[in-house]
Amino acid sequence: MPVIEVEHLQKRYGDKIAVDDVSFTVDQGEIFGVLGPNGAGKTTTVECVQGLRRADGGTVRVLGLDPVRNRTEVRHRVGAQLQESQLPDKLRVREALDLYRSFYRNQADIDELLDDLGLTAQRDVAFQKLSGGQKQRLSVALALVGRPEIAILDELTTGLDPQGRRDTWELVERIRDRGVTVVLVTHFMEEAERLCDRLAIIDAGRVVAIDTPSGLLARVSTEHRVYFRPLDPVEDSLLAGLPDVTGVRRNGDEITVTGPEQVLQTVLSTLSEQKIRYTALRVVQPTLDDAFVSLTGRGVRAATSPSTDERSS
Amino acid sequence: MNALSKLIAVEAKLFLREPVSLFFIFALPLGLMLVFGLPQRGASEGGAGQHAELTFLPSLALGLTIGMLALFTLPMALGIYRERRVLRRLATTPVNPALLLVAQVVVNLVMGVAGAVVTAIGVRFLLDQPAPANVPGFVLAFLLGVACLFSIGLLIAALAPSARAAQSIGPTLFFPLLFLAGAWLPRDQMPAVLARIGDYSPLGATVDTIAAAWAGDSPAWPQLLALAITAVLGSVLAIRFFRWE
Repeated sequence: MPVIEVEHLQKRYGDKIAVDDVSFTVDQGEIFGVLGPNGAGKTTTVECVQGLRRADGGTVRVLGLDPVRNRTEVRHRVGAQLQESQLPDKLRVREALDLYRSFYRNQADIDELLDDLGLTAQRDVAFQKLSGGQKQRLSVALALVGRPEIAILDELTTGLDPQGRRDTWELVERIRDRGVTVVLVTHFMEEAERLCDRLAIIDAGRVVAIDTPSGLLARVSTEHRVYFRPLDPVEDSLLAGLPDVTGVRRNGDEITVTGPEQVLQTVLSTLSEQKIRYTALRVVQPTLDDAFVSLTGRGVRAATSPSTDERSS
Repeated sequence: MNALSKLIAVEAKLFLREPVSLFFIFALPLGLMLVFGLPQRGASEGGAGQHAELTFLPSLALGLTIGMLALFTLPMALGIYRERRVLRRLATTPVNPALLLVAQVVVNLVMGVAGAVVTAIGVRFLLDQPAPANVPGFVLAFLLGVACLFSIGLLIAALAPSARAAQSIGPTLFFPLLFLAGAWLPRDQMPAVLARIGDYSPLGATVDTIAAAWAGDSPAWPQLLALAITAVLGSVLAIRFFRWE
């Protein structure tokens, strides 16, 4: 059952088209990713879903409601975590939760929430004294304090260290396990791959693809690459003649064999049959980065121009 | 507790955690009174004009309190809330972000009243001067002065492109207003046109009407009217031009 339906959404800021044509649906209970480079129109899209901006064209339905006309009802049921949103320096963790909770008719238990988000020890700490990860977790807690049916999380892990990022990913999974539908806006491929049940790739204001992470990978059918250093002599033709192998390359004493997923199996069994010893074996699988390149014709980083800011108007 | 009373309670706590604003409201006006008021008392016997009036200095001290809250603290706080996207964050909740503005105004207003009471008591007992004689007139003049200056503060908050800009616009406006009120050069020694402008300027009218009521006279209606008109005009413009992000 879809809880969010977006059809042919369009949004302009003056002459600049932020969102050109975006359609997608989000089903209840899933983690839905909105993925794309900075400036692709991700934030504008979710702002229209939240009713913070009025669409110039197309329709948006959230829980069957118009988020602009039924804004209060939608806001009671949709929690949001905004990119780069801060709190007053001297506001303490518990005070912030207590304050934001008073805005909602369904109120979460604050102690339970603090515990879930690992902030119990920081309950009386002022916002300015929190670490980046703690601030981010508080921001998520504020999005959940009204017991929402949908949580929209925008660039949740930007600025976090790798450990903080992994902790936050676990947190997002726990939110979903509570039955909350999660919309995750991100430009990290790894994050989308790890967390999302389905995702929409947005580039230059348009949806390029909507699929599961594995569906996207299958769609681009990028090849696996097997790297190893043989310790005994081996002929290229031996490997090149194997089924599944689409290419063999040498780089110094390292050999690269490419092919579909089962190419690793083929190469390893052949090497062991021929009693060829090897070292430094590694396999590179296609990633969503490869999928993104193949779908948009450029990499996420190349598509991300430092001067682009999708919120500026 | 509903959202607004909670917002007010939280804003009040945050205000009290800023020692600088507390100093501005409770210590500075009284300090100025003691520094300037005591020598003046000995010197101005038999003098004439604006500065010789016994109620001029305490009224100016109250004007200072209101002015600093309205032109420094209020626009600064709102500028920071906009920059840090607190207003935007509130917009994603069922609560209207305008309630945060209301809470800010209420807290600054309450602090202003508290500061005024402390200053008035200080004047009464430390400087041994009389308490306000025309109390209804005093309250009316004080509230109109607050409304007028706060609306200017809100207009600064609405128009300033950043919190930093708000921080410099406030004082840039405050010192000319203080001058027009006759803080340095008494208005009776100013050129007639300048003195007339001063009479109806926000701080000038505030100080005059408070001083008149303090002395037991009725505040001048045209000056009260000027305060009210400025208050309405400032508020309407502030609401019209306020940017939420």
